[in-house]
Parts: sequence; C-alpha cells; structure tokens
Amino acid sequence: MVETGSISIFLAFVISIYVLAASVYGVKTRKWDFVRSAENGAIAVFFLLLIATIALVHSLINLDFSLKYVALNTSTDLATIYRFTSLWAGQAGSLLLWCLVLSIYTAIVVLQSRNRDRELMPYVLATLATVSIFFIGVITFVESPFEKLPFTPLEGRGLNPILQNAYMAIHPITLYFGYVGVTVPFAFGMGALLSGKLGDAWIRYSRKWALFAWTFLSVGLLLGARWAYLELGWGGYWAWDPVENAAFMPWLAATAFIHSVMIQEKKGMLKKWNMSLIIITFFLSIFGTFITRSGIISSVHSFAQSDIGPLFLAFIAFILLFSFAMFLYRMKDLETENRFDSILSRESAFIFNNLLFLGAAFAVFLGTIFPILSEALTGDKILVGPPYFNRVNVPIALVLILLMGVGPLISWRKASLKNLARNFLSPVLLGILTVIILLALGMRDVVALISFALCAFVTGTVFTEFFRGTRVRMKRGENFLSAFLRLVSRNKRRYGGYIVHIGVVLIVIGVTASSVFVTEKQATLNKGESMELRNYSLRFDGIEQYTTDAKNATIAHLTLFEGGKEVDTIAPEKNIYKYEGNREINQETEVALRSTFKDDLYIILSGFNPDGTVTIRAMINPLVNWIWAGGIVLLLGAIVTMWPSGKKRSEQAFVRYTVREQDATLNA
Amino acid sequence: MLKGKLKFIIAIAIIALTVGYLVYGGVKDTMVYYLTVQELRAQVPTVYDSRVRVSGTVVPGTIVKDNKGSLEFQITDGAETIDVQYEGIIPDIFADDVEAVVEGVYAKNDVFEADTLLAKCPTKYESTDSLYENKETSY
Repeated sequence: MVETGSISIFLAFVISIYVLAASVYGVKTRKWDFVRSAENGAIAVFFLLLIATIALVHSLINLDFSLKYVALNTSTDLATIYRFTSLWAGQAGSLLLWCLVLSIYTAIVVLQSRNRDRELMPYVLATLATVSIFFIGVITFVESPFEKLPFTPLEGRGLNPILQNAYMAIHPITLYFGYVGVTVPFAFGMGALLSGKLGDAWIRYSRKWALFAWTFLSVGLLLGARWAYLELGWGGYWAWDPVENAAFMPWLAATAFIHSVMIQEKKGMLKKWNMSLIIITFFLSIFGTFITRSGIISSVHSFAQSDIGPLFLAFIAFILLFSFAMFLYRMKDLETENRFDSILSRESAFIFNNLLFLGAAFAVFLGTIFPILSEALTGDKILVGPPYFNRVNVPIALVLILLMGVGPLISWRKASLKNLARNFLSPVLLGILTVIILLALGMRDVVALISFALCAFVTGTVFTEFFRGTRVRMKRGENFLSAFLRLVSRNKRRYGGYIVHIGVVLIVIGVTASSVFVTEKQATLNKGESMELRNYSLRFDGIEQYTTDAKNATIAHLTLFEGGKEVDTIAPEKNIYKYEGNREINQETEVALRSTFKDDLYIILSGFNPDGTVTIRAMINPLVNWIWAGGIVLLLGAIVTMWPSGKKRSEQAFVRYTVREQDATLNA
Repeated sequence: MLKGKLKFIIAIAIIALTVGYLVYGGVKDTMVYYLTVQELRAQVPTVYDSRVRVSGTVVPGTIVKDNKGSLEFQITDGAETIDVQYEGIIPDIFADDVEAVVEGVYAKNDVFEADTLLAKCPTKYESTDSLYENKETSY
C-alpha cells in the first residue's frame, strides 16, 4: 500500500506538470486536443490522489508503524474513527488532504465547463495545475506522508487527547474545503487576466466558488471556536491566536469579495478592485496555510511544524509578483462602465463595507506578523495580544453591522430622503427602542448597547424586506406561506443573503453578550460546601475516581441550584492518560458545560487536593448558544443562496451590464 | 461630478485614517515586549512594573501549587532563572521541563507576577525521538 501511495503522488506531480504545459500550449496554438488531454490529466490527478489518500488511510487504520506519519499520529489504543481523522492531524497528511481537495475542485471545474468558455478555461486549469504542482511537489519531495522509518516501533506516539473530539474530527476538514476553495475563484481571476477574457464569465464562476469557499470557511471557523470552547478549558472560544487569525484573514477578504462582485455584476464597476481582492484573498489563504504549517509565528496550538517555511515563502512571493504583474498588464481592460453617482447609495455602502473588511484584514494581518516585523525592524520581539485585536476590530465590526442594515435597503445610484425615510424609519425606531429597554433593564455597557441596537436595526431591515415582498405576493391572492416560499425561491441570492445576515446578527449578539457579561469565580470547596455565582449555587458532593485501560479519571460531583431550587448535577473531570510510550500531553481537563439559550455554565475542575477539597473555577457565559445557532442559520442562508435554480434564464437576468467583449466572434 | 468624487475621496480617507489610527493606538497601548529570562534580568531595574512576556523552561521540582489554585514555579533559559507567581487556569500540558510563556509584571521583589500562563510541548511536535524509546524489541 505504501508503495502504491508514494508512486501515486509522484505520478500526480508529473501529470500536473503535463496539465499545465498541455493546457497553455493547447490554447496558444489553438490545438484543442491538447486542452482536452490536459482536462483528462486533471481528472487523472484526482484519481491518483484519491488512491494515495486511501493508501494512507489504510496504513493509519491498520497501524503500519513503519510509516513515520502513522507512528507519529496514532497508537494501538486509538479508536478507529480517530485513526482515520489523524489523516489531518499531522503535517504531511494535512498537505495530502490539501492536494486531494484541490484536485476534487479542479475535476469539478473541468467537468462543469467542458466545451464552454474555451478561451478562458485552459488558463484557469493552468493556474489550478500550478498550485497543485507546488503542493503535490511538497508532499512528493519534502514532506512525504509515505516516508518510512529506519525501524518499526511497536507503539506509535498517539493522537493528542484534545484532538480526540468530534469537532476536531470535522473542523479541520471543513476549514480545508474553505481554504482550498479560495484557489478556484483565484484561478478564474488569473484565467481572465491571462486570456484577456475579462468579461462576465470569470466573475460569474468566481462568485459561485467564492461563496462556496466562504461558506466552508465560516462554518469551519465556528466549528473551531466550538472545539476550543469545549476542549481548551479556559472558558472562551476565540483568543486571536495566530492559527485562528490564519483562517480569519482569508474569511474577511472573501467576505469583501462576495459583496463587491455584486457591484461588478450589476453595474460593471469595481473591476480592478475585485481582481485585486481575489488575489489578496488567495494570498491570505496560502499565507494562513504557511503560518500554521511553518511554525514561524509561535502559537499555543503549536501543531504540525516543520521546515517547509522557505518553500512556502518562495511560492507566496511568486504568486504575488506574477498575479500583480498580470494585473498591471491588463489594467487598461479593466475600466469601469459606470460612475458613482452619490455617496448615499447602495454602491457606496458596498464600497465602505469592502474598505472596512479589508481594513480589518489588514489590522489582523499586522497584529499576527507583528512579532516578526518588530524583530526584523528593531531587534526587539514585540507582541500585540487580544487587547489590540479587540480594540481595532470591535469598532470596525460595529460599523459593518450598521452597513449590513443599510446596504440592502438603500437605493442604487442615489438615495433620496424619501427613500431613506420610507425604508429606515421603523428599523431605526426598533434600534432606539432596544436601547431604551436595555437601559431600563440596567445595562450600562456602551459597546454592548450599541451592538444590540445595531443588531435590532439590521433585524428590522431584513424583516421589512421579507414582509414587503411577501405582502406584494399576498395581494396577488397567494396565502402567506406560499407567498413567502415563492418570494425566497424566486430570488434565492437576495433572500438567502438576508438569512445569512440574520445568522450573523445572532452570532454578533452571542459574541457581544459572552464577551461583555462574563461572571467568573474560583473557589476551593470542602465536601458539602457551596459556591455562589449570581443566582446560581454549586454544592460539592464528593469526588469519584476510576481507572480505565486508557486513563485515570477524577470526577468532582456537584449539584447546581438556581434561585435556591435544585436544577441539575454537574461533573467536571480531570483525566490522566496512561501512556506506555513517551507522549508529552497526558493530562486533560474535561469541562462540564450546562448550556441553555440564556447562558452557559462552564465548570472547570482546576485541581483536587489530598485533603479531599477541590478547586473549582466557574463561569457564566451568557448567550453563547446564540453563536452556534447563528452558525446554523448562516449555513442555511448560504445553502439557499447557492441552491441551483431550475431556469437558466433567471441566472442571466442578474448580469444586466455586460462587458464589451474584445473578440465577439469567439463567443459565437 | 467633481464634487461627488471629492466626497468619496474624503469618505475613503476618513475610513483609512480611522483604521490607521485604531491600529496605531492599539499597537501603542497594548504592545508587550517578548523577552527571554536573560534579557529580562539584563533590563533590571528599568523593567520593573512594566508589562512583559517572558518565556523559559520550567525548572523541574520548583512547581508548588496551593489549595487555592495559585501556583509558584521557576523558569530558566539556561543562563538565568526567575521566580514566577501565577493565579488562574493551569494548562493541561504544564509540567516540569515544558516551555512556559508567562505574561505579567516583574515586581521589585524579583518575583514575576503572571496573569497569563501558556505552555508548549517540550519537544518539537513531529520529533521522532520518542519513537526510539519503543524501538528496543523491534528489528
């Protein structure tokens, strides 16, 4: 199996080079057979990488410790499901997965667009092949998952216990689908630049793929946050760690892109901007992979590191230089077709949205690389921590939420006062009402008040839109439900987008509440003693210790009282894993979480003492569940938006302003 | 037309300046020097009472936990050693010999009062060293 795997990735590498050469040669010389064969090559690469992945999975599941990767990431006591997920627990396996996902995307692109856009597609394929060559090259020659050890150990090093969690099993792969997915819209952008076909086609494909990748990035980020919350045991879900930022930066840029492409589709504006944005998004995605894979920026996650850093840097430099050189070369063909008429218009709301997203991405980027930057410039290593990121990003986020409400309702071109009053009166009143109610309830935190008011405002605008649309249909005699469903299904992009916005509002509410209103307390308790936390009380009933094959577990049994009434029992754990091998991490704190839509009670057993006392750290994190619920709504909205529509015609109708094709005959 | 364009330039400039200001102010107010133990000791007494981050290896046998959840230990970089006092959540992998990163204030009594404690694995993650210990009975 091992030989099969290493031969497969080598062949995939060679064929990827062929795909690049044949597609470029084919389109340059108009020998379409070559393009066809390059397309077939891309599909062959997919099958080869699939075989390689199956080979590695086979070795992982059967614990073939003669493979370095298997010995480092599994052990005999590991459950089969985690043997499988250790495919992406280490460096080489993650990179193999990167390649596989990219080859899946490439194959889909090829199959979707056969015989369409013949001038554009070969260059798109060539770009995808170039990225493939780099990554497959890395796993073939530098960091092979099929590298053998000079001996066969009897036991592997095992999987870190904090990675043995259902969220950790799906979070990385979801994020990978997003990260890698960004490559495809970038490839269409590059294809357009290289071929000179800067018309509608690239932007149409790019938009869909960017949205697809964006959805995976969003869900991946949220799953990662949830994993950190459940498993890392410090009571939060986001710490502005470099590894988190690595995924957050491309998300910010991609969010800007999926908004600004709409302006290009509808108005033929912002062409240069969109092209730059997609290049930046791709750069940030590769840069993120680089940060997490090279270990250049120290992170507490400190997983999978090696010395592939310089290779990545060279590749990033090449990508940036080449793309921006192509961009400058085609700049004159990216002229805008419309001008901005007024600062009070939807176009400008989108512009501001984009600038802010990019500003946030820049701030996060700067904060992430600050230690390296300061060391290079001044010789001192200077860090900026979570306070920096919060200070910069919170104001930006608040303005963005405001724009999220303004954007969809303000008119195109130029908004009149009448338009503003008609659309925004009730949402603004809703926002003000929210502030009044919260003030009356005793809330005094300014940031939280602004945030909740803006969330109410956005919710108001979205409901106005749904309400108006449904009412128009109901006047035509449809009942409420069918009017509502038809409204959404006839304008999936628009109303799907609104649903995504509602998801974002829920997330913002959860994030605001859980970062501003945390109650935290630590106490050492004797048996029978209680600790008070707001209107909760926790009574320590005793300790239980047991031993299994894998671990020594210590459980503290607690009874929870709410307002004097007994409501639940709670049992945080501390586990010491018994390893025969030499594994660094053998202790694991298992948080006890009692989660409701009102608040989360987050209980950590920080220590137990020989005299029978336990040290308990307890937190009340309000509304955390709203974040996860928001994630589900966001995903639903994204699915609605991307749901394929039966009629091709409605799709075309969105592209109202078309670009003058330089070579009209080619379209025929 | 020109007036409209000017408005845009002003609006964009305001956004750019605001973001720039936020970044500048954020860096200025929150930046923390990242020092080794030796660098910290070399900066005595100017370093007293300013917020810094220090990394070093936990000296084996120096970890003292009390029942209330506070923690004392020493970290070293081979050349110098300092006492650290910390209260808060102790990372699971914190133990003798791990690389610890502490953030806080170096007090005048030469005790580092940390409010943040991070711990990293002692060896590089993908090191194969440990595998050799399981080697003896294999071929």
